[in-house]
Parts: sequence; C-alpha cells; structure tokens
Amino acid sequence: MNDDTALPLARFTILEVNDTDVPLCLRLATSLAAKIAADLGASVLKIEPPGGDPVRRAPPFLPQGESALFQFLNTSKRSLVLDLGGDAGRAALKALLDKADAVLFEEPAASAPLLRAARATPIEIAAFPAEMNAANRPISEFTILALGGLLHMVGEPERKPLRLGGHQASYAAGLTAFTGLTAALAARDAGQPAPPVRVSLAEVMQWVNWKAVSGADAGGVSPGREGRNSEFQIVPCRDGHVAVVYTVTQWPATRALIGDPRLADTKFSTRAGRRQNIAELYEIITPWFANKTRSEIQTTAQAKGVPFGPTFSPAELLQTEQYVARGFLADMAHSTEGTLRLPQLPVQWNGRSFAPQPAPELAA
Amino acid sequence: MSARPLSGIRVLDFGLLTAGANTSAMLADLGADVIKIESGAYLDPFRIVGKPDDNDGWWNRSPQFRFTNRNKRGLALNLKAPEGQRVIRELAAHCDVVVENFRRGVLDRAGLGYKDLSAANPRLVFAAISSQGDTGPERMNVSFGSTLDATSGIASLTGYEGEEPRISGMDVNYPDQIVSLFATGIVITAVMEARRTGKGAFLDFSQREVASFTLGEEILAASADPARPNDRRGNREEGVAQQDAYLCEDGRWIAVTLDRPDATLEAFCIGHDSTAAVAALLARAIAAAPCNDGNDLLGNMALQGVTLVRDERGGLVKGLPYRLGGKGISIERPGPDLGQHTSEVLRELLGYDDAQLKKLAEAGVTSTTPTVGEI
Repeated sequence: MNDDTALPLARFTILEVNDTDVPLCLRLATSLAAKIAADLGASVLKIEPPGGDPVRRAPPFLPQGESALFQFLNTSKRSLVLDLGGDAGRAALKALLDKADAVLFEEPAASAPLLRAARATPIEIAAFPAEMNAANRPISEFTILALGGLLHMVGEPERKPLRLGGHQASYAAGLTAFTGLTAALAARDAGQPAPPVRVSLAEVMQWVNWKAVSGADAGGVSPGREGRNSEFQIVPCRDGHVAVVYTVTQWPATRALIGDPRLADTKFSTRAGRRQNIAELYEIITPWFANKTRSEIQTTAQAKGVPFGPTFSPAELLQTEQYVARGFLADMAHSTEGTLRLPQLPVQWNGRSFAPQPAPELAA
Repeated sequence: MSARPLSGIRVLDFGLLTAGANTSAMLADLGADVIKIESGAYLDPFRIVGKPDDNDGWWNRSPQFRFTNRNKRGLALNLKAPEGQRVIRELAAHCDVVVENFRRGVLDRAGLGYKDLSAANPRLVFAAISSQGDTGPERMNVSFGSTLDATSGIASLTGYEGEEPRISGMDVNYPDQIVSLFATGIVITAVMEARRTGKGAFLDFSQREVASFTLGEEILAASADPARPNDRRGNREEGVAQQDAYLCEDGRWIAVTLDRPDATLEAFCIGHDSTAAVAALLARAIAAAPCNDGNDLLGNMALQGVTLVRDERGGLVKGLPYRLGGKGISIERPGPDLGQHTSEVLRELLGYDDAQLKKLAEAGVTSTTPTVGEI
C-alpha cells in the first residue's frame, strides 16, 4: 500500500472501554473521540459490556429500530463484548491493553484504576475537574451546560435560559478528547513518554464559553442572554427564518442592503446607538425579510458581503447544494436500515474525505 | 522545559479572531513555536472588537486578543507589499504548519497560498479554515459566528417550545469556538504524517461542516425519515423524562434533569433558595446545577480547573480545555503587541541584520502601529 492511500492513523491501535454504570453524556464524548480516530484509519476496538453499550438503545431511532445516535458515534469501529466484572474479562482486557497505543474510558468506571495504569496511554473522560472529587455527583449534559455558563447565554433575559440543540456539551468534549488523543500519539511517535489525557465536560464548556468570563473580568458585569435586546436576532421570512448577523464594519453594507432611509438616522450609526434603539431598528428591517425566500436573502446579502444566515433543519441540510457539491454527506450501507446518509469528518485532506464504515453489531 | 508533543514544530499563524487564532494557540500550548503574522494595515479584528479606550497603544490591550493569543510571538508584515510577501515566503520555508482563516483567495492573490508555499516547502501542513470550505458554490460566502448557528442546523433545534429558532449570539458565537477543538487534532495528525513521510498536506476545514457534524445523529435520522419532526422543544430532550430550567426563590435559575416525571418540581424550586434546591435534589440523586454566569465562573476556582490562567502582567487569559499529565499550562509570554517580535524573528530565522530591518521599517513593510485610521 502506498502512502497516498493509507489512512493517516492506520498505524495506531486504540481501545474504547465501555464499562457499566457510566452517565450517557460521558459515553457520547468518549465514543465521538474514538469514532474520529477510527474514521481516520486507527484500529479502534470498542469493548462493550454484556447487553451492549446503552447508547445502542438511545434516541433518535431509525425506522427499523436501530439507534441513529449509536450508528453515528461508532462508525469504523470493531466491537468485542467483555464482562469486566469477572476475572476472565479483566484478563482479556489486560492482554488487549498491552498491545494498544491508547485507551479511552470514563472516570466513574469500575475499571478506571486498571486503565490508568495501562501501558497504553489513558485518555479519560470525566464530568468535573479532578480536584473537585465529584466523580459520583449526579449529572446530565443539561446540568453541565448550566454549570459551564452556556445555558445562561441563550434565550430572552426575562425568560428561562435555553440549551443549544444537539449534544453540544458531550460533543465539544469529544472533539477535545480527540485532540488530546492525537497529542498523546504524537508524543509517543516522537519517542517521548506520552502524557495521560484528562477531559472534563465542565472544563470544556467553560473554555468554550470564555467570552462570558472575559467580559465579566473586563467589565464587572457578566454577558448573558440578550434575546430581543441583541443586535443579532432571528427574523421570519417567506419560507422560514434568517439570522441577522453583521460586524461593526459591515453595518454600512447592511444598511444599504435593507435600503430604508430611516436607517440613515445617526442614532443607528454606532453599535451603542443601535443597541439603545434595537426595537425600532428591528421594526424597520423586519418587513424587508417577510416576502423574500431564504435563498433570495442569502444571495442578495452575500453579494454585498453581509453574513445573514438562513436557518436550515437537519432534513434540509441533506439537500444543501454546498454540502452535496463538497461530498460532505456520505452514503453508508447498513445491514438492516438500508442506505443511511450522514456527515463525514468535517475536513478534506488533499481533497480526500474519510468515508465512515457502519457501526459494529453486538456479538451474540 | 522537557520535550512536549509539538516541540520543534514551528507554526506560521495567519489566524484571526477565534477559529484560526485559537487553533494555533492550541498548537502553542503543546510546545509549538507559533509566530503570528499581522500587518499595520490589517490587525487581528479582536484587537479592534475589544478596544478598551482611545489612548495610544489601544491595539495592544484588547482582552479578547490577549485571551486568545498568549504564548505566541507577533510579527507585523504587510501582506500587500511585494517585500512583505517575499519575507513571509522565506519564513514559510522555516515552518512546519500554516494556519489561516482568511476569506478564500486572499493568500492566493498575495502569492502565499498552499501552492506557492508548498512548492518551496513540501512538508508544510497547511490548515485552511473557512466558513464554507475551499470548494463548492458557496466557497466565497462570508459568515460571522452566529451565521453558522443558523446555516449549520443548530439554530433549528434551539428555541422555546414551538417558537422561532435561536442563535447562540455575539457573546458566544458557538460555531467559532468548537472548530479549533477539532482542527488542532487534525493538524497534529498531519504533522505526524509529515514527520514520517516528509510530505505535508492541505487541510480544508469548513466551519459550517464542523457545526453540522455535531448534529450527526439528527442528520442521519432525517435521512432515514424525512418526516421526522424537528421543531423547537425548549430544554426537553428525546428519551429524557423531564428536563428544564426552574426559577428559585432567590431569582436564580437552576437546571434539572429527571429520570421520572415530577409535577411538583416547579413549586419546589420557587419555594427554595437556588443553593438549597440544588443541594436537596443532588441528595436525592437527581442531576441539578445552578445556571452560572461569567462572574460565578470567575469566582469558582475549583470548577474552573485549568481553563483560565494569568499571564505575567496579571491578565486573565485562556487556559486549556484538557489536561496533559494532570496539568494545565503556564503562560510563557502574554499575547504579543503588534509587531513586537518582528526584528527578533527575522534575525533568528532569516539572519537579517540591522540595515535590512531598517530598510523594511522605512518602506512600511514592518510596523508596530496600525495604519487603519479611526476605529
């Protein structure tokens, strides 16, 4: 095989250990990190407990009953069932660990002490910083969003705060664990001792939400959800919604695009002025959107360099011209669900995409 | 300092704002030598967005800039001047990685695109981070933060029950934050390949695709069932019995997730102080947490972990999203002033002497002050 066709992580062997009694939000992070490595060619063996990873039974479900969540998170992996509560299972795991480069697992797992001591580099996913000694505190992805301050940022100021759609806390941690994994592999590759990696969802959420901390530190007042007081809002249009977004330097182009003479008023010429008069500003601009389609709005706005964003649903994204043209969505043949279409890794490497292979079935 | 995973790797950093500049910052955190290129005519916009006052040197004091660009050296070289372009091409020959998030075509027009730079340095790993990717009909489209909340699909699944979609907004710009978490790992993977094979790579990242990738199971489910409902559900989640934010007696919100529905929870919360309510729920093995704001996070050193750290001037800056060997990072140098290390780096890497440096400064190729006029 020549180097142009070999996948970049093909030299590496990675274990993903799915022990029992681990919160689902931690498992999603572990599985995403290992999936990315697997799609990049690493040999990833997923160790499942008898009965399988509970994510196999987690929504959303496909028409024949398989979990779409499991299918997405476990592409290109192999699976082996081991009962880690028994001596035979633990002995088998130890033998596998001796041959692996890295092992991914979660902090509250009963097997965690064994895995931390392995020759394979440990990549550990936890809920909280180690010093908090909070491994057994009840958590959910939603409460992690609240702790990390991201929940505080979305919605109307006088109404309840809102979570972002999708599994953002788990997946941001999963992306982080992937990067930590590559750092460990790079150290091993360079002949250095590889540092163990630890990722906590709470730390990742705070790191992602750094502008709230930076703002509070600089001005004493924390940024928070602004809803209808924000310069950036979502407005309805003929066939859906559009996010109104522009930078300070893009305001003149935005004003010209909308073309209403009332926007020339000097009270709208600075960011502070626009924020003070935000309700009036939106009264003026909202009608411009009402009779136009998302596509018309995007084309007209982009022609003037204005970054308005039409909203798309997941079903609509499947038809998006840009995604189809770039081949971002891959078709994957599943044994019972037929052909599934899903996002590939969001990178093209010398023009090459990384086609995912179907997730492993649970051994009988 | 002992060897780190990217010791010996040098990064030519054209990264701006978060998506680009933070990818190279994460490479610096792993031991890479990151040299950030700006110019007097084109500053990293974070220097301007975070402008604290009108006094001289304002461009060196933006908290957002300093949060993101610590542990880098900073050069100011005019990309539009042929002399500036020549110097950057010389620097690229001494680098292993380029990170950039300009609009497509900007570096190509300056003769600094992947084709030009890799011709002289075939082991170069070139990370091009853009709104829509380097190909396709929308490749020239611009976006800013929350544009991508909308176009990626995240907004369509965010919002109050049955109401319009919501974006993360300008104080979060969520899609910008996650791209570096992924791109850094891919760059490291490509660096390993370049070390092994001597061949670099062109890495084409679409920020919109990174954001849509986080909805993988939703897109997959929609492909099998196009009629699958995708309306806004507030804080509810498929497969979770009950989940929402609840207002407490002290006016604070708490987040609660229940395995079994409990119709009394709302009344319980409004009748209790938020701290007491969280403690009582946790004691019943129910996931509950306060809805923290920026000041809560600043004050909670235990929860912060390694995500924040202070530089030598005492300024708060970004730490790490993970730990290697149980530790975070120390800040070896604060975010650079504009052009602070131009002479140092040109002497060290290219062997320039005083006369050459003086000539570049007099020609306006190098600088330490902006020429952008009034901001």
